[in-house]
Amino acid sequence: MTVSITRPPTRQPWRPAPGAVIEAAALTMRYGFSVTALDQLTVAIKPGVTGLVGANGAGKSTLIKILLGLLEPTSGHAAVLGQDCATSGLEIRALTGYMPEHDCLPPDVSATEFVTHLGRMSGLPATAARERAADSLRHVGLYEERYRLIGTYSTGMKQRVKLAQALVGDPRLLLLDEPTNGLDPAGRAAMLDLIARIGTEFGISIMVASHLLGEIEQICDHLVAIDGGRLLRADTISSVTRASEVLLVEVDEGGDLLLAELTRRGLSPVACERGLLVQIARDQTYDVIRDAVADLGLPLSRMEQRRHRIEELFRADPALAGETIGAGSAS
Amino acid sequence: MPADAQAAALPGPSADSGGVIHNIGYRRYDAQRLGRFQIVRALTWHSFRSAFGIGRGAKAKIFPVLLFGLMCLPAAVNAVKMATSPAGGPIVTYDDYVPSLRTVAMLIFVAVAAPNLVSSDMRNHVLPLYFARPIRRIDYPAAKLAAFFLACLAMVEIPLVLLYIGNAAQVHGAHRVWLQTLQLGPGLLYGVAWAALLASIGLLLASTTGKRVFAICAVGIPLFFTWVLANVLMHIGNQAFGPVGVGQPSALASLAGLISPFTLLGGVLHWLRAAPTPGAPVRGLQATTIGHYGPVYGAWFVIVLAIAIGGLIARYRRVGVA
Repeated sequence: MTVSITRPPTRQPWRPAPGAVIEAAALTMRYGFSVTALDQLTVAIKPGVTGLVGANGAGKSTLIKILLGLLEPTSGHAAVLGQDCATSGLEIRALTGYMPEHDCLPPDVSATEFVTHLGRMSGLPATAARERAADSLRHVGLYEERYRLIGTYSTGMKQRVKLAQALVGDPRLLLLDEPTNGLDPAGRAAMLDLIARIGTEFGISIMVASHLLGEIEQICDHLVAIDGGRLLRADTISSVTRASEVLLVEVDEGGDLLLAELTRRGLSPVACERGLLVQIARDQTYDVIRDAVADLGLPLSRMEQRRHRIEELFRADPALAGETIGAGSAS
Repeated sequence: MPADAQAAALPGPSADSGGVIHNIGYRRYDAQRLGRFQIVRALTWHSFRSAFGIGRGAKAKIFPVLLFGLMCLPAAVNAVKMATSPAGGPIVTYDDYVPSLRTVAMLIFVAVAAPNLVSSDMRNHVLPLYFARPIRRIDYPAAKLAAFFLACLAMVEIPLVLLYIGNAAQVHGAHRVWLQTLQLGPGLLYGVAWAALLASIGLLLASTTGKRVFAICAVGIPLFFTWVLANVLMHIGNQAFGPVGVGQPSALASLAGLISPFTLLGGVLHWLRAAPTPGAPVRGLQATTIGHYGPVYGAWFVIVLAIAIGGLIARYRRVGVA
């Protein structure tokens, strides 16, 4: 259950790595001459719930379309469920559910009819499509409403229908593009719950594309961060948010005195707006700080080990983003 | 909707749940999955129904039902005539049917039904959902074209079959029934030409816009005005230039029919049918004058059909997926 970064294989023909749900190797997508949506993206995603984070325009939707075999990449390879996206689009799409970012529902049919029809389009026989449409709509929390015309639905209900149509064909993988788009906080929480449940209880691998880091942190096991079409970081959520080797020391007064004292005692503290940041060199660092504070008689209010936050991945400041930048970019 | 009724009749936690998510457990689907061909067939059937407004509200069925009734009217009138005074024989032919009625009824049908098949999916951005399923890009326009072809075919051919039944019921002797059958054959074949040309042109025009009203206009206006223009030019050609020889209309009058699909179809019929006797009266506006240009009509029919189908496929190759 770890995300590994593989190097693009040099030999031909290209073979996807076993065990990865999604794999990209030196994947590049250019529109025309000027726009580069994906730039040498190389990443392998293992089963589970994976977040695909990036700002708007980072290449998330382009990646999803390539994975579905709907766009042909300029160069490089991609595979889904062990099948090459360039040659096995039909097989991949038979086992993959896709929830688009934008509105995609006709207002003049009922949710039941619509999801049943799309179930048939996923390759289900008529009876199975009807049963599974009812099941999926129930799973997303639509009951009697499902006989109403979709045009009468709230945004939250429409998002649920979009999820149900992705689920109706019993996919092995779900690709969800901004599933909480346009939802209020309560609807957002309900949708995230639902996605987490599908990932854990239904045993379906999910890739959630989102520009909201908080959501990814909440429901995903793994994270793939892309920026400008390049891979920023691919790792487990826990390692991205792991404890860093930096101590935050906060005193109510006398910060300058402490700074000078710690420097004198051989540490290299840096002042930040809340206090001092001290690199943890060895176990004695804690004792040194304690002694310095006690000797100066300063009121110590906080001493904590800082945790990385996902947001730091996207900060330009290398001191804060640290070693996380450029982990797998092959360019 | 039988599907809904069936699902509603099922007892389940949905009945009194009040919006609470019950854990009914996720059931996998391990049974057989249909292939690409069967999915396209399902899409074709679904689209065929939507051409007649089946599966949608009552309002959507008004026009198709009215127009179908209109198309059947000549067959009914003929049947009544055959029943009351069978002496003179049928008053409606299988190939021509009643050309002006057929033109008007089919023009309205194509303009109203074609947007139902394609522009709704485009307006509501449903296409990405289709393209994310195990079918290829070309399958969508192919299924829509097949469905609309069948819908147009039903509009044109069912009245012909009714006409045949009306005639066959009144003529006596196996030989005469066989004669009627022999006449029905070419009529049905000609109906195929109508359905193919109108379905492909209608869908191509309708697929240019997602707005339903615009789509109706995009189909109806060009079809109507080319038809009027073709007839006006044909008339001018006949009146101003006169026939260049006995039974030989001027080039303008002969070629004007190429402008509109309806007069083109009329021209193809006249070309395929035995050449009209020289000096025979031109029957109404609908009889396309073709002169010696019969093969031109045949070739142009094939070219227009190919352009319309190719254009439709190209349209869906270009359309964005999200």
